[in-house]
Amino acid sequence: MGLIRAVFDAAFKQDMRRMKPVGPRWPLLLFHVDTGGCGGCGMELQALRYAPYDMEGAGFGFVTSPRNADVLLITGALTRAMAPVLEAAWQAMPTPKGLIAVGSCALDGGMFPENYTVLGGLERRVSIDLKIPGCPPAPQDVLNGLCSLFGKQAVPPKEAETSAV
Amino acid sequence: MNAASHIWAGEETETPWRFRLQEMAWRDLVDALKHDDLPFVGLWCDGTDVHALFLPDGQPLAATLALEDGRYPALSPARDISCLYERRIYDLYGAEGMWATDVRPLLDHDVWSSSTPLAEHPGAGGGQKGLIHFQPAEHMPQEGDMADGWGPATGGMEPPLHVALAMQEGRIRAAETVTGYAHRGMELRWRNSRVEDACKLSARVAAGQSVAHQVAFCLAVEDACKEQVGPEIRLLRVALLELERICHHLFLLADMARLAGARLVASGCMGLREKLLQEAAPITGSRLLMDVCVPGGLSLRHATQMGDMCGRLCEVAERDYPALLALWQEYPGLSMQLAGIGKVTADLLERVGLDGPTARAAGWDCDGRRMMPGYEGIWRFTSGRQDGTAEDRAMLLLEEVGESLRMLDEVASRIGLTAGGSVQLSMQDSEGTGMVEGPWGGILYWVRLKEGRVEQVFARNPSSAALLTFEAILPGHQPDDVALLARSLDINAAALDQ
Repeated sequence: MGLIRAVFDAAFKQDMRRMKPVGPRWPLLLFHVDTGGCGGCGMELQALRYAPYDMEGAGFGFVTSPRNADVLLITGALTRAMAPVLEAAWQAMPTPKGLIAVGSCALDGGMFPENYTVLGGLERRVSIDLKIPGCPPAPQDVLNGLCSLFGKQAVPPKEAETSAV
Repeated sequence: MNAASHIWAGEETETPWRFRLQEMAWRDLVDALKHDDLPFVGLWCDGTDVHALFLPDGQPLAATLALEDGRYPALSPARDISCLYERRIYDLYGAEGMWATDVRPLLDHDVWSSSTPLAEHPGAGGGQKGLIHFQPAEHMPQEGDMADGWGPATGGMEPPLHVALAMQEGRIRAAETVTGYAHRGMELRWRNSRVEDACKLSARVAAGQSVAHQVAFCLAVEDACKEQVGPEIRLLRVALLELERICHHLFLLADMARLAGARLVASGCMGLREKLLQEAAPITGSRLLMDVCVPGGLSLRHATQMGDMCGRLCEVAERDYPALLALWQEYPGLSMQLAGIGKVTADLLERVGLDGPTARAAGWDCDGRRMMPGYEGIWRFTSGRQDGTAEDRAMLLLEEVGESLRMLDEVASRIGLTAGGSVQLSMQDSEGTGMVEGPWGGILYWVRLKEGRVEQVFARNPSSAALLTFEAILPGHQPDDVALLARSLDINAAALDQ
């Protein structure tokens, strides 16, 4: 894990190999890895995919392969079994790339500090580009955090609508 | 002599329903279990003894055996599900189940900082660097197979799990799961913790089943303290359990619909769930209902508003639930796609001992709410599903959402403005059990208290039996169905690995 070095700012710097415009037409693509938690943060991320949260409209999307991702989004307390998986996902991502930690567990272990099977979060191990604390953070908190990357505020959720129904 | 008689014939312990057996009596118990349907709950170790818990007529009955040279006769020759507990005990304590049907590592893949970490003298850590290697089951590699796999990092939101697939002619011939990625060492964390802290850990065994774990833990502690909470607290806990069931089912249904290509239906499920959460979270204090229970009472932000909240949830759902039900039933191709996959047979359910919605959708009459305090006059049996396919499970979940909403409506008027109060517990050195019908089946806690703290916890949840069911039904399916089948059985690595 010591090898991971997040350089997220590179995505928007002038002199990098790959320039990427910012905005809904060029969403920032996130690859999620649960590194061993209760699954609560993952549930809140899943909620983010649906109304009333306009994640895609705010310029973000989830992908199913790290090769297509701009950012690695981590939840969970980082178990020793998942550390090499995380490393492999990171290595598979194209540069420039970034790292976001969502939830207390991903940051410092939260309720699951270091023991024989858990490394206890990423905070002291790697450089993190965006930290979103909470146990678990609400979807709106995650969206606000993501939008802060672009220096803007997330649109507050409208009243939950099931107009599809 | 039946299996229960073998246990009752053992030496009495300080716990009235737990008996100490000698090794020969334990072996007789294993033999008797091969021809006896005594409901098996689980097997665990404390470093000195192994304990097997059963539930004859819904009451706990446990057998204890002292480890001899770190070994004990395994129960897996008589109960398939026990192999997962035996593999877990070996990884954590180094205690070996003799004649066990499977002795491969379950949690420890040589990456831990110490082996047998809960043993009196833990061993040296494994030297494995990089991705973990695992020993395939005997039936997995065959000539002509193509190897495929799913997880542990799929980009999805589920806790990490690997499924190894042996493929022939584009279909799955055999499958096995590799677990341990989400193991957080809960047993060690519970050990010698304060009851309040232990309850918070229980809340985080598996999100989506948090209330069920908290209530089962609290019931176990209250049982050990020989105390019972009042009817108001029971009703408030019922309200929380049913709210969690509704949200869990809608979340699962949304994921199944999404994976089946019915994104509109998924949006409908998640939209209703979000509406309910936006009403409930300000009152309960947590969207995922974490840390809402404490031993002896509750820990809600605005307990006196729970009755009103239940009423409002029913009003919200009254508008949307019928339309959601109709949409699911009428959405082109959705029912047909789900009806063709994931059939769970009665034989399989009996073999692995899985309860909950999976069993109810296959025609089994099993619901722990029938006996749970607080549900008197509220719960009623509703299942009419028989075939056990993914479609049956989805329809059962939708029916249960409606049934839980009806229960919330009944509870709302009974709760009124009560805050429930609390019961002062006097901690004594003793053991207790607590069982709850969680969203996906029975959740049972065994807790041993010592000197005002939690000495040891054993938590049984349906994930172990669900995993064996998942492995058994995968053959014959296409690899693209793996994620959908995992969701339809609510495979939860967080609950499984702990």
